[in-house]
Amino acid sequence: MTATTAMPGVVGPKGAGKGASSGAPRARGPRESLMSRTAAMLVMAVFTLYFLVPIWWLLVASTKSPGQLLTTPGLWFADFNFVENITALFEYRGGVYWRWLGNSVLYAGLGGLIGTLIAAMCGYALAKYRFPGREVIFNVVLGGVLVPATALALPLFLMFSQVGLTNTFWAVFLPSIVSPFGVYLTRIFAAASVPDELIEASRIDGAGEVRTFFTVSIRLMSPALVTVFLFQFVAIWNNFFLPLIMLRSEELFPVTFGLYTWNSQLNQIPELRSYVLIGALLSIVPLIVAFLALQRFWRNGLGAGALK
Amino acid sequence: MTTAPAEVAARAAENRPAPRRRIPVPHKAAIAVFIAPFGILFVLFYLIPILQAVWQSMLVIERDGTFGEATEVFGGLAQYVLVFQNAPFWASVARVLTFGIVQVPVMLGLALLFALLLDSPLVKGKKFFRLAFFVPYAVPGVIAAIMWGFMFSPNLSPFTALTKSVDFLGADLVLWSIANVVTWVFVGYNMLIIYSSLLSIPTEIYEAARLDGASQWRIAWAIKIPLVRPAILLTAVFSIIGTLQLLAEPQVFASFSSAVISTYTPNMTIYATASVPNSSLAAAFSVVLALATFALSFTFLKITQRKGADE
Amino acid sequence: MQHKKKAIAALALVGTLALAGCSTASGDGGTSAAGDCTPSDGKVDLTFTSWIPGIEDAVQLWNDENPDIQVAVQTGPNGNSGTYQNFFNQLKAGNAPDLGQIEYDALPNFRVQDGLVDLAACADVVAAEDDFVPWTWGQVTLGTEKEIYGVPQDSGPMALFYRSDLFEANGIAVPTTWDEYKKAAKQVRAAGGYITNFSQTDINQFAGFVWQADGQWFQNDGDEWTVDLTGDASKTVADYWQDLIDEDLVSTYPAWTDEWNNAYNSGEVWSWNSAVWGANSIASGAPDTAGNWSVALAPQWNAGEAKAGNWGGSSTAVFKGTEHLYEATKFALWLNTSDEALTALNTSANIYPATTAGLDLPSLQEGVEFYGGQKIYDVFKEAATQVNPDFVWGPTMTQTYADVADGFKAAASGQGTLFEALENGQTTTIDALKAQSIPVKE
Repeated sequence: MTATTAMPGVVGPKGAGKGASSGAPRARGPRESLMSRTAAMLVMAVFTLYFLVPIWWLLVASTKSPGQLLTTPGLWFADFNFVENITALFEYRGGVYWRWLGNSVLYAGLGGLIGTLIAAMCGYALAKYRFPGREVIFNVVLGGVLVPATALALPLFLMFSQVGLTNTFWAVFLPSIVSPFGVYLTRIFAAASVPDELIEASRIDGAGEVRTFFTVSIRLMSPALVTVFLFQFVAIWNNFFLPLIMLRSEELFPVTFGLYTWNSQLNQIPELRSYVLIGALLSIVPLIVAFLALQRFWRNGLGAGALK
Repeated sequence: MTTAPAEVAARAAENRPAPRRRIPVPHKAAIAVFIAPFGILFVLFYLIPILQAVWQSMLVIERDGTFGEATEVFGGLAQYVLVFQNAPFWASVARVLTFGIVQVPVMLGLALLFALLLDSPLVKGKKFFRLAFFVPYAVPGVIAAIMWGFMFSPNLSPFTALTKSVDFLGADLVLWSIANVVTWVFVGYNMLIIYSSLLSIPTEIYEAARLDGASQWRIAWAIKIPLVRPAILLTAVFSIIGTLQLLAEPQVFASFSSAVISTYTPNMTIYATASVPNSSLAAAFSVVLALATFALSFTFLKITQRKGADE
Repeated sequence: MQHKKKAIAALALVGTLALAGCSTASGDGGTSAAGDCTPSDGKVDLTFTSWIPGIEDAVQLWNDENPDIQVAVQTGPNGNSGTYQNFFNQLKAGNAPDLGQIEYDALPNFRVQDGLVDLAACADVVAAEDDFVPWTWGQVTLGTEKEIYGVPQDSGPMALFYRSDLFEANGIAVPTTWDEYKKAAKQVRAAGGYITNFSQTDINQFAGFVWQADGQWFQNDGDEWTVDLTGDASKTVADYWQDLIDEDLVSTYPAWTDEWNNAYNSGEVWSWNSAVWGANSIASGAPDTAGNWSVALAPQWNAGEAKAGNWGGSSTAVFKGTEHLYEATKFALWLNTSDEALTALNTSANIYPATTAGLDLPSLQEGVEFYGGQKIYDVFKEAATQVNPDFVWGPTMTQTYADVADGFKAAASGQGTLFEALENGQTTTIDALKAQSIPVKE
């Protein structure tokens, strides 16, 4: 492979948003007809509508005054009360929404980071080392996701009660950093993108196994790690089962669980409705930010294959 | 190197012992360091609770008098007898199977299509599409179901022309309306798994094909799809598991559709049973569901793997 | 430092897991739940879980006045949306809060799970009986003579909310009996509306109708439970509504949805048989109809009777495991009887008091704008005195509600009848009791 494509950040044919028609000779093939491209863009456009219309509805709904939710068309604006609604949300119960948002960032950010790291270490070991019990471990980890979370709620709660850790940060944080799925994904990616020769070369250079992982392998696995992190981040962000069983203090709630709580009180306090809607809309924003911040790593990951 | 992903999945599926098992294991310490952090937490927060749930499923309650203190005693498989006699539970298992047979292929087909399009030079504005398709996954499940409840509502939907004549929340269609929500939420998620798998394929593998004049469709079909097969299988297995464990979406739908009863999916039955509270029966339901899920995922892997070997 | 300690404790989980498996079999207390009601020395800290929005303000009032008994209040989702499940888990783990909010229909369940302290040992609680509307007291004694398992907090006497403008414009008299209500239903239908919406999921509303008709779903004679979802009163009520559904005289939108709100807001549905707290639900769900609603006493089964049903209502209960029964009951009594607390709860969350004196709160004496200035709480005050004091809830209501609701949903879509749903509920409820080893008459 040429040196240019090996350099991180160099725009290749994939994932970089660069059109086929520009530059490199390989991009201009006769079969990538205008029709193919139009068809492709049409498919993407139609599904973009499908994916975004409900979000659009949420955006529009969060700009309406409570009385207009039902009485005005759902997909277009009525009185623009966005600022009023946001202010009301932030002032409600002493701005507890901010606190929830902060908690979520902590649970999901830190949890996603640590969760990804330990899953990657495990997946890497399963992919790159041969040892007895390897497949057993792998299958047991898959077995772990077969039992529905509903069944594990009570045992987990009793376990945390034993050590007096219910209603603490740890009760939500610790179980949520375990991601069997992450182990799966990183194993597949480590097998695909970390060449044995590279590990061998690192060994010859005198680096230890752990050091090799942190200096060489982890970088090669970065597209996978970003994917795992992103999923883990969102999974923790949207997990409401653990907070539901573990937390009693409002100040520890993550944002989605807080919104769920409000939603369940709608029959008593119908005004909460607009807080739930606008709260939900705002709670998507940090996820979008995380997504945008992370997606450049996918591009960097291109170097992974090229290095070989 | 290029066959590695397929190989891994194949081995995982087949549970084939590592070929060099008698040779002393090098790097023991490193392996332990890599596996221990995840391993310990996994044992704590998955394995032990699972074992406790299994134990719980074998307990029955005894008490004296109408308000007597309850004691849990070992009851053998008594709860399992109740599980197998519970017709609504098995009806709900059949329901989610029907759901899965249709929804999982549709969802993964779309995810694969989008991933391939994003990976091809045919599409411009990739960043935007990646984000747009992923955003639904970021919407909290409860909110997503509420939004779609609104979309499907006969009188309030922005598309009343359609919803007034077709009852999306009625007994005939509601399962597919739920399928739509699940698809809406998870297509982007699965797309990203396949997409990042595509990204890890060394480009030179299909550069040659391109130079030979192969079309994008041909490259996708002949080269890319076989290479990302492990990722597709992975998303399939996790989708099968997710289908059998459906809970949040049908639960929200139950609040606005008369056709969704409290035992609509197996996991809803478990949830309802746990709230009675009848922990032992709920645990027995869970164990049976887990075994059914296992049987299904395992069969799926076996079949796909055999097919893979034929090719 | 605190965090570090907890992190260490987290690691210590490993060692204690073995214990967790075997020490969870049951709570500590025996069958006799009467507690020791003597004051503790020194400062007492209590924990209290509720889902009333804004209850912190009321608790703050207490904490300011009672430096020696400090209450930490925690709010969570509504009872059946998770808080009850948490209570059960906490009772099993032995770390339940001192006090918790429990609706009347859930009290027997907590009693059966051995989670409640009998407050009869506290003279103050016994003495407070006279402060409460008599039937609410019946809800916390669970049909016993001497035991008390909570302090009543609020109640939900039922009445008829109706669109006075539409009734008047169409020359329909306000129905005072269920017969008249059905006749009115036909007139409303002829005018293009529905007289009301039958909710398939609010089984406690249906129970309120049965309650009004002097039905009894459960009885506990001390030796065994009797389940009777299919008695005469239940049959009368079920058949009545089945008729209305069959003749297309009522709509069947799922309750508490946008669709349902819209049916009221657009004037399609003209009345609602609901509890006092429903006043607020209409006001927010159907804002366009402001000023057009009125409230009347519920229609009667027999002309001339004066009976009301009840829908909802909570108590403040003390959980097993508390070390401060005396202080806990002191707080519970203050929260549910003192003018300041009741006023605070009424302002922040429209809690309708369960005390006789509370029915005369200043805020309940005023005309309500949404109801054209009618003093609607006068009607509810009257209804509150008309509720049958003997209605008893069963120990597995969550399950009964779910099963009956499943049947009602089917009936609303034309499969089976409401009464068949009750018959099925009867069977499954008996099964559920048996599964808990609760003696039940078959």
